[in-house]
Amino acid sequence: MQEHYILTEKEINDDLLRGIFYTPKWWPPAVIVLTIIFLIGIGAFGYMLNKGVGVTGLNRPVFWGFYMVNFVFWIGISHAGIMISAILRLTQAEWRRPITRAAEVLTVFSLIAALMAAPLVHVGRPWRADLWVFPYDFARGVWINIRSPFVWDPSAVMTYLTASTLFVMVALLPDLAIIRDRSTGIRKTIYGFMCLGWRGTPRQWKLQAVAGILLSALVLPVFVSVHSIVSWDFAAQIGPESWHSTIFAPYFIIGAIHSGVSAVATVMVVMVWLWGWDKYLTPDHLDSIGRLLIVVASAWFFFFFLEWVFALYTLEGPELAMRDLQVFQWPWSGLFIVFLLTAFFIPVPLWMFKKVRRSLKWMFITTILVNIGMWLERFLIIIPGLMRRGHMIFDWGSYRPSIIEILMVMMTFAWVLLGMIIFSKIFPLIPLFDIKEGMIGRTMIKIGRRMVPASIRE
Amino acid sequence: MHNGSANGHATVATPAGVTHDLLGRHRTYGSKFRWTLVVLGVLFVLGIVGFVIRMQDGVSDPSVWGYYAALFVFILTAAQGAPLVAIAPRIAKAHWRRPVTRAAELFAVVGVLNLILFIPLIWVLPGLDDGRRSLWFFGELNVPAHFPQFLTTLALISLTVLGLALLWVSSLPDLAALRDSTTGSRQRWYARLARGWHGTSAQWNMQYHRMGILGAFYFVTMIFVHFMISVDFLMALVPGWIDALLPITQTHNAMQAGVATVIITMFLLRRFGGYQDYIGVDHFWAMGKLLFALSLLWFWFWFSSFIVFWYGAKPGEQGVLELLTVGPYLPVFMAVFVLVFLIPMFTMMWNPVRTSVWGPTIIAVSVLVGALLDKIRFYVPAYSVTDMEDKHTLLVGQVPAVVMPEAADFMIWVGALAGVALSYILASKLIPAVSIWEQTELLLYKVHTKFHRAEFLVLGKKD
Repeated sequence: MQEHYILTEKEINDDLLRGIFYTPKWWPPAVIVLTIIFLIGIGAFGYMLNKGVGVTGLNRPVFWGFYMVNFVFWIGISHAGIMISAILRLTQAEWRRPITRAAEVLTVFSLIAALMAAPLVHVGRPWRADLWVFPYDFARGVWINIRSPFVWDPSAVMTYLTASTLFVMVALLPDLAIIRDRSTGIRKTIYGFMCLGWRGTPRQWKLQAVAGILLSALVLPVFVSVHSIVSWDFAAQIGPESWHSTIFAPYFIIGAIHSGVSAVATVMVVMVWLWGWDKYLTPDHLDSIGRLLIVVASAWFFFFFLEWVFALYTLEGPELAMRDLQVFQWPWSGLFIVFLLTAFFIPVPLWMFKKVRRSLKWMFITTILVNIGMWLERFLIIIPGLMRRGHMIFDWGSYRPSIIEILMVMMTFAWVLLGMIIFSKIFPLIPLFDIKEGMIGRTMIKIGRRMVPASIRE
Repeated sequence: MHNGSANGHATVATPAGVTHDLLGRHRTYGSKFRWTLVVLGVLFVLGIVGFVIRMQDGVSDPSVWGYYAALFVFILTAAQGAPLVAIAPRIAKAHWRRPVTRAAELFAVVGVLNLILFIPLIWVLPGLDDGRRSLWFFGELNVPAHFPQFLTTLALISLTVLGLALLWVSSLPDLAALRDSTTGSRQRWYARLARGWHGTSAQWNMQYHRMGILGAFYFVTMIFVHFMISVDFLMALVPGWIDALLPITQTHNAMQAGVATVIITMFLLRRFGGYQDYIGVDHFWAMGKLLFALSLLWFWFWFSSFIVFWYGAKPGEQGVLELLTVGPYLPVFMAVFVLVFLIPMFTMMWNPVRTSVWGPTIIAVSVLVGALLDKIRFYVPAYSVTDMEDKHTLLVGQVPAVVMPEAADFMIWVGALAGVALSYILASKLIPAVSIWEQTELLLYKVHTKFHRAEFLVLGKKD
């Protein structure tokens, strides 16, 4: 980290709390537009509830369409927050400081988007959701089927959501106290309530640090389990070709990290553009996340390669026919090429250049491309896998998403963006205390004739 | 952190002092060292005798070579995986790597021994024309029947050469220091090996680039070798075994066992090699954390494979599970599970265990023994089913009984492991086991400074 800004505590407070005490010009129109899109999606959902899932493009044998694609996509995005925050915190990486909060918040909102996208929607009767988990007449020996994904998925996602929310809340306490101390009236009362009596005593700091480390360590296995469980929704089945593969759990996880870290990089760029936090999110930070992305993307590509190699290794006719469908038959072939180009072959060679990694514009473009590609990846796993003609399927066809599904996909995107910008109006998106701690521990040491930045560590 | 040698931060404060001190420790050896060489030499000869006995059985029946194949892969995993411990932290610019890197890279010399061990397996492995599944589309792409043997040999040679090149390049400044501090024929030898090193700026720049490139290539080649070995020399031998995750789990095992090997080596260097001022709790702590994380990953990879086979319940997959996990080799699998996962997890989660010299060392022994049993669990049963008529499905009732090791197998195992230790010790007498230049470089980045009322160690980090 060679670009060091030395900022006073007052400058940090003023910069990072400006969005909370004053409303930026772009904020009200952005909220209005996103709210309208969100409400349209809710309307589409209501229509589907009223008319039934027949208004979607779901049909025999493609029972998992856009909703499931979107579910896997948002679960993937949610992985970035915890990975960036917990792993970088545990490894004491200095460049994590301005990124962690936004990444954690992205996790929370994308997890809720994932819940909106599938389990409550695509099964068609959401009012019976309670019966998936607490369904049965125990007196007559009817028990929950713990081998059902209806139990796995909600348990994993809700545990992750609870842990991620706790993670955000614990790290917010010192910053909430600062807002409390700079507010008056009802605002002061609300923030005073939310910061749980934070006064910054040594005991409070110690407890906060211990809670942060413990949550970081405990949330990591949860983070791994969530997407593994989502992947086993697919891999444990032997019906659809191309799904029954042992590599699915690690492949889904690395794909999730690829799309999630890219999403965090996108958010970083947007934070600089919208709030002007270029002293906090410097090209060095983009460079660091760019390097991380090269490693993650290469690892993802290796897993993708292995997934394909072992599909061909089976030498089984249906599996090979399914791969033929994915790669050589229109429109899947076109989507497959777009997926490969956007997820790997365009961004990764570009990230090899330092200038690209340090450029806001290029990092924005490349990371958006990655997420287009990763959305398509999930689409290409789910739809062709289901629609291929197999034994005992006498009614087949392709899949064409209906306007209802498209509106609901847009709703989830609007929800995440809306959540992020409303959060930024109430809470600081960059953790003030973490930035101040970084400033205190920052020093320069002389090596030969050069001054080199160094950090004091325990 | 500022506890002097207890933490492995040597109290010698000048580059010249560190160089002098480490060269002195490198040259010191006594009668214990000679006796160790003699004992290892005798055991190695025993291994050669065992190998000759094994060769009497010929190479046409793979089932008698299962333990031999497991040994070869164990050495590939535990010893040739060790240089990865030098490569990754060097890329991450972690300071704790400094006394560790050379000790890890020295394991590259074991690659030569393992390459020799591999030779019989080239003949043991059946050709692709026996009708089994393969990655090479035999019969459709006009691939020779012994293509896997050719490609794997090439990959192994590349891995060995890259490992030796990495060791040599990273040792250049130390070889120059040895050249400048010796006389006579030794000086001439070290001068040849040091290739005119004088520490110019251009040489240092080139040095960092070469180490980075060689490290990256070693890592990639290691992945490729494990891919080849785990597919062609293992998975393809078991009818119905299709596990896309296997090459990754095998590479992961190499990282886990590599870290364990380096921890044990660091312990021995600290206790018997006279490097206690340079190898301290900090280094065991850092490597202990790595071992802990890798042990958790082991469980995740294993479970990811297991649940898909178990839940899918296809007849062929049930047969594979029966053969490798829940059937006759269940006790071996349970031992692996305890040694590689349960023991590391329930001990290393406690900070006091990680922040000690003994804790990570004992856990590393557990992991290495577990890794060894894991290779037996895979390779011995896989080599015992090569004569199945159906090359695509193994049913539960067809799983053969346990193959027990013979006297020749024990002799080969003991001899080969002695050979590994012997080659490592001899190499460490040629090249210092603790990198002198990386230790002197540390002095440049290290400053003790006062922060409020406490004194702290500040470590700078290069861009």
